[in-house]
Amino acid sequence: MRTKPKKIDAERKLFEEEARPHLDALYSTALRLTRSPVDAEDLVQDTLVRAYRFYERFEAGTNFKAWLLRIQMNAFVNRYRRTTRERQVFQGPMAVPVGEGVMSRATMRGLTDPVGVAQRTLIAREINRAFDALSEDSRAMVLLADVEELSYREIAEVMGCPIGTVMSRLHRARKQLQVSLQQQAIQLGIIEPDADDAEEPVSLGAFRSRKAKKP
Amino acid sequence: MSCKLVRRHLGALVDGELDPATQIEFERHLDVCPACQEGLSFERSFRAQTRASLGSVRAPEHLWGRALHRLDDIDDTKARHTSLIQIRPMRWRQTAVFGAAAAAVLVIGGVVGLPDGAEYRGAGMLQDVMDLHAQGLPSDVQAETPNDVVRYFEGKTPFPVQPAQFPESSVKFVGARYIRVGSRPAAALYYNQGGRRVTLLVFQGPGIVQNARRTEVGGRELYYHDVGGNVVTIRQQGGVNYAFFGDLDRPMLFQLAANARVAY
Repeated sequence: MRTKPKKIDAERKLFEEEARPHLDALYSTALRLTRSPVDAEDLVQDTLVRAYRFYERFEAGTNFKAWLLRIQMNAFVNRYRRTTRERQVFQGPMAVPVGEGVMSRATMRGLTDPVGVAQRTLIAREINRAFDALSEDSRAMVLLADVEELSYREIAEVMGCPIGTVMSRLHRARKQLQVSLQQQAIQLGIIEPDADDAEEPVSLGAFRSRKAKKP
Repeated sequence: MSCKLVRRHLGALVDGELDPATQIEFERHLDVCPACQEGLSFERSFRAQTRASLGSVRAPEHLWGRALHRLDDIDDTKARHTSLIQIRPMRWRQTAVFGAAAAAVLVIGGVVGLPDGAEYRGAGMLQDVMDLHAQGLPSDVQAETPNDVVRYFEGKTPFPVQPAQFPESSVKFVGARYIRVGSRPAAALYYNQGGRRVTLLVFQGPGIVQNARRTEVGGRELYYHDVGGNVVTIRQQGGVNYAFFGDLDRPMLFQLAANARVAY
């Protein structure tokens, strides 16, 4: 016979009811971040354990999924991400600014409406490949915004950064994804190489400083 | 409004994260700029493609079950540390009295003595109590009815001994024996709860609650000692100590101690 105080039973039941619907989202995100099913399972379990332990700190009425994802992101950073790798994210090749006008209109047209199941499947595969080439930070941004559809405020809480930073990091992550996809799509013959490179890439830094000078 | 600024924020526009005034400005620009319109269509389409491509992973079947196992561990830890005031005693009339299941009287051995002395108090006494439980001394009496147990202890202990009754129907009376705690005569009552042994030691002497921690469960005052990872729970009633201990977790033991009907 297993007897527990009633309050714990009720809390446990409530937690299970709230958490269960988000299991796929947690696992999916964990898998995309760790790239390993075993690590992903461990990460999800750790996340649920932490969440349950601190369940009383969850503010009712706020987004439970965002709260879970924040715990998972913290667990991921603490456990899997090491300072050396983190430096690579900010100082390595991924730190190179991504231009504003990264795609020509022809390219965009080619990728906007994939024709037929075959091309859609191909693009889906290439998006996955492009995604895997992203930095951890960019992967997290794309997952939280585009897959889990969190608001910028929620992403800011998950990632522990200001909302303005979410905007620029997300923008950057998406552009990286698009550039990577564009290159693969050209190689696969889905789209033609750009002939009308109308705009020079503009660095975000330059853009920001220009914007900051405006009244 | 420049195309560059619009393109820069198309993502935020699709996300619905622009403030309303800016959004209206953007829409005005988009109405008259086919290039930015194309950018917006692409941004939307790319968003949908990203979601479709990355968002279809499902968690393995066993994952939830594994996670729940780990939550069980937390519950166990929480239960040990939770204030036990929340436990509500069961109602007596809803419960079966165990006594009916008892068996015939069987006298096996003599009296087991435990040491005594001026310093024999507190910790030493508790350790003996724990040892007594660990030894698992055989019962002297396995009673058909509570009266058999009462008769067995008559003349042996200076207080009447009746097997405690528990509202929990899972608790079965196994048997009893006369022992000593220090120099004091005592009754050891053995119970079984779901395969786990529970011992109730009945004896006189105030020393046992010295330095004990105090708690209240279901309106009942209880004392308890932690002895080497085990807990001895003591309830005092009518000048007699009822010490409960056994292979149970703390909340269960407290609940049994609080709910037991010891003098009736």
